[in-house]
Amino acid sequence: MEWFDNFWAVYSNLVLTIGINALLALSIWLTLSCGLLAMANAAFMGIGAYTASLLTMNAGASFPVALLGGIAAPVAAALIIGAPTLRLSGVYLAMATLGFGEVVRVMILNADTWTGGALGLNGIPQLTQWWHVVAALVLVLLLLWRLRRSRIGRAFEAIKEDQIAASLMGIGVMAHKMLAFALGAGIAGLAGALNAHLTFFIGPSEFGFDRGVDILTMAILGGTGGLSGPVLGAAIITLLPELLRSFKDFRLMLNGAILVLIVLFLPKGIWDPMRLRQWFGRAGVR
Amino acid sequence: MLLSRVPFAARSLVVALAAAGAVASAAAADIKIGAAEAISGPAGQYGQSIRNGFQLAVDEINAAGGVKGNKIALQVEDEQGKKEQAIDVFKKLIFQDKVLMLFGPTLSNSAQAADPIAQAAKVVVFGTSNTADGITSIGDYVFRNSVTEADVLPETLRVAAKHTGLKKVAVMYGNDDVFTKSGYDAFKKALEDLKIPVTTTETFAKGDVDFKAQLTKIKASGADAIVLSALIAEGAPIMVQARQLGIDLPVIGGNGMNSAKIFDLAKEKSDNLWVGSPWALGNQTKENEHFVVAYTQKYKAAPDQFSAQAYDAMNIAAQALGKIKLSGDLAADRKALRDALPSVTWTGATGAFKFRQAMDKSGKPAGHDAQQAAIVSVTKGGKYSIEK
Amino acid sequence: MLEQQLVNALSLGCVYALFALGFTLVFGVLGVINLSHGAIFMLGAYAALEVVTRLALPLWIGLIVALLVAGTVGLLIDVLVLRPLRARNAPHLIPMIATIGIGIFFNSAVQGIFGAENLRFPSEAMPDAQLHFGGVQVSVLELVIIVLSFALMGTLMLVMKKTQLGRALRAIAESPKAAALLGINVEGLFFLTSFTAAALGGISGVLIALYSNAVFPLMGQPILHKGIAVIILGGMGDIRGALVGGLFLGFAEVLAVAYIGSTMRDAIAFGLLFLVLLVRPQGIFGKLLERKA
Repeated sequence: MEWFDNFWAVYSNLVLTIGINALLALSIWLTLSCGLLAMANAAFMGIGAYTASLLTMNAGASFPVALLGGIAAPVAAALIIGAPTLRLSGVYLAMATLGFGEVVRVMILNADTWTGGALGLNGIPQLTQWWHVVAALVLVLLLLWRLRRSRIGRAFEAIKEDQIAASLMGIGVMAHKMLAFALGAGIAGLAGALNAHLTFFIGPSEFGFDRGVDILTMAILGGTGGLSGPVLGAAIITLLPELLRSFKDFRLMLNGAILVLIVLFLPKGIWDPMRLRQWFGRAGVR
Repeated sequence: MLLSRVPFAARSLVVALAAAGAVASAAAADIKIGAAEAISGPAGQYGQSIRNGFQLAVDEINAAGGVKGNKIALQVEDEQGKKEQAIDVFKKLIFQDKVLMLFGPTLSNSAQAADPIAQAAKVVVFGTSNTADGITSIGDYVFRNSVTEADVLPETLRVAAKHTGLKKVAVMYGNDDVFTKSGYDAFKKALEDLKIPVTTTETFAKGDVDFKAQLTKIKASGADAIVLSALIAEGAPIMVQARQLGIDLPVIGGNGMNSAKIFDLAKEKSDNLWVGSPWALGNQTKENEHFVVAYTQKYKAAPDQFSAQAYDAMNIAAQALGKIKLSGDLAADRKALRDALPSVTWTGATGAFKFRQAMDKSGKPAGHDAQQAAIVSVTKGGKYSIEK
Repeated sequence: MLEQQLVNALSLGCVYALFALGFTLVFGVLGVINLSHGAIFMLGAYAALEVVTRLALPLWIGLIVALLVAGTVGLLIDVLVLRPLRARNAPHLIPMIATIGIGIFFNSAVQGIFGAENLRFPSEAMPDAQLHFGGVQVSVLELVIIVLSFALMGTLMLVMKKTQLGRALRAIAESPKAAALLGINVEGLFFLTSFTAAALGGISGVLIALYSNAVFPLMGQPILHKGIAVIILGGMGDIRGALVGGLFLGFAEVLAVAYIGSTMRDAIAFGLLFLVLLVRPQGIFGKLLERKA
């Protein structure tokens, strides 16, 4: 057990970060499954993180209450900006949501009496236990799995395939998009709240463009075909800096190169059920 | 019987680890010191300077026989200027590499996140470049020799005001960086204490290339000097653009502006910049001259404040190591080192140094800050010249 | 102060526009958001810097080298990465992610080779003269930037409207498949566009490095973010949009600083961006419909 204790002391942060990143990747998977390329989840994560942290630090709230706050605030934000922005599609939606992300970051920077501005929030109580992350991940996976198989999930598919046909079939396109967007925001907010109480310090620079790009990459890399893809992608992106540590100066370079190579040679992401079936089909596994 | 249930891989891993451990303790007891610095990423230039300072000190100490015959083994890890990386690297150095103490991280941001880990693990963490608030208040295992802005800026302002006769100032700072924002807070307080009115306060962000809008406003406000809390990357263009707009006012800078790079980057537009720091390139003390010559020889470049403080910090740590007896019990040794540090005094490249205890949030004694005099210099013709 | 601020706004706006021109060209013709444009911009600056410092050649040679180096990199990116993705009809997210990886790759490679610190062009190379017009200061360099952005925009618009090449490019922008059916050499024109857009990025890198007095590995990133805002404002894929969007953003930022307060600068700039998106999401000159094939 000493081996495990040692391992855990060194790597606990890493393992829990994988879990939190998996939540983030799943949050964007959800919006992608409805055909929405919304790049605002980093901002929603930030809103969730700050809300939860302010609740525990200033209002002395308990952890569950703070988590709920961390989910509710981004959902509210999503509902507000969803109405105008979800009319856009494709790349325009992506850029609009990226812009929203920047607005949130700047607002956090400027509201420094509340948020500490550039100095961030320091000394957030370290309340996140490993089982919180596991429970959150399991619950979200369950929720998304059920959603996928339900009418709502099928409606998402339809909207993703062909928005106009879907609306002609009587599916409330806008309402479903809002649902996907808001739910994704809530999951991202939960991840943010958990993360804040894990690293006990948050700052505005963590929820900007770079984070948004990371989240998207995790989902696409892992593969958006199923739920395992985003989780796998999260694990890889989180572990990559660790594995490449020995490359020192050139580590980020390798990071970028790996990204390009995976995009080129594994287009559906790594977890591609069809390709895997092809490979294993020979062994007689179906 | 129980052992056979443990999978073969785990068992061999345990054996391998034990063997490695045995080998390590059998070798001449090298003193393992870790350094988590930002070698890559946006803070890379500071991290690399710091690493150079450490390395120079370690090489000198080891060449002279080490500490009581034991050589220092320095292990530098890259925390990329990101707090998550700082946390991971700290954990690795403390639990996996089992260092006796560690230096770093580079940015105050990262320190606030990672230092609590060292504190909880009862390992000394020694910052050489963290100047923000809320770091030494984390606990009694946190040390730093970087003099805070709150200590240096009042002195800089006082000397600059004396020499330039300024009556009112305009303030400009980077509002998206912990370091420059902290600097601004310290400046604001110092200006209030000295009763110097502020005509206008302008901000900018990291990566900005154009400052003319803010500078034009400052020019129109009738200030006698510009107080600037910036890193060199923005500070140099600000000075150049100010001079281009015809603003020849003195510029009073915080810690970030204290670097010989300003001459490179702003050339003849760099004159009349006032900075305070515990270290100055032109400070002609025996220790500093030795450091400057050695550094320039080894790295083919002039040292800066970051490398100077890192160099001194390593020597301070070596002094503490010289006072304790290493027993081989890691936990006991770590504690002994922590106990020996506060009383160390040292005169190095940055001058006479001693520690001063800080308070934590509830007012109880916590970590240790630097107690050092600041030197104020002004730039003239491509050089810093010290003023009193 | 107002006149000086207006001039400041004009030059800042043109700085943004210069960067956005290449950026928007790639989107307009290839349909890809090239997030490595910031890295290409940075490579142009470093290329010129090396030529001027290490080979001690004059600045105009440095500019040409920057153009060639950046253009070649852009071309290589297209041939090695974007083309295979086109061939398999990858959904448009995928090339964007690839360009993110490419950007990271170049940023860190340059940092590893040249180091993280700020470098600058030797002052002899730089035109440093200041001009005064009735209380307003303007540097020669700023005038060059302003004139160049208008000139480039004008040239590109002329090419697009009046030449056969331009017509072919517009056809491709509408629908590459249809253009191919019409006998247009689509792949060849993609290569040309990638080269040209990247070359533009490289030149703007040199000019802005001279303007801001700093060359460092991550210099492309902040301007990439602003560039995104510019093309959204101006309309993605539209050349006029790059200039108009750039000027819009430049004026918004400078006037916000001058009359509201510099802390609100970014909030106002992005707030405006957001408003434009709500009211007219395609930007000033953009088209709302996405291209089908």
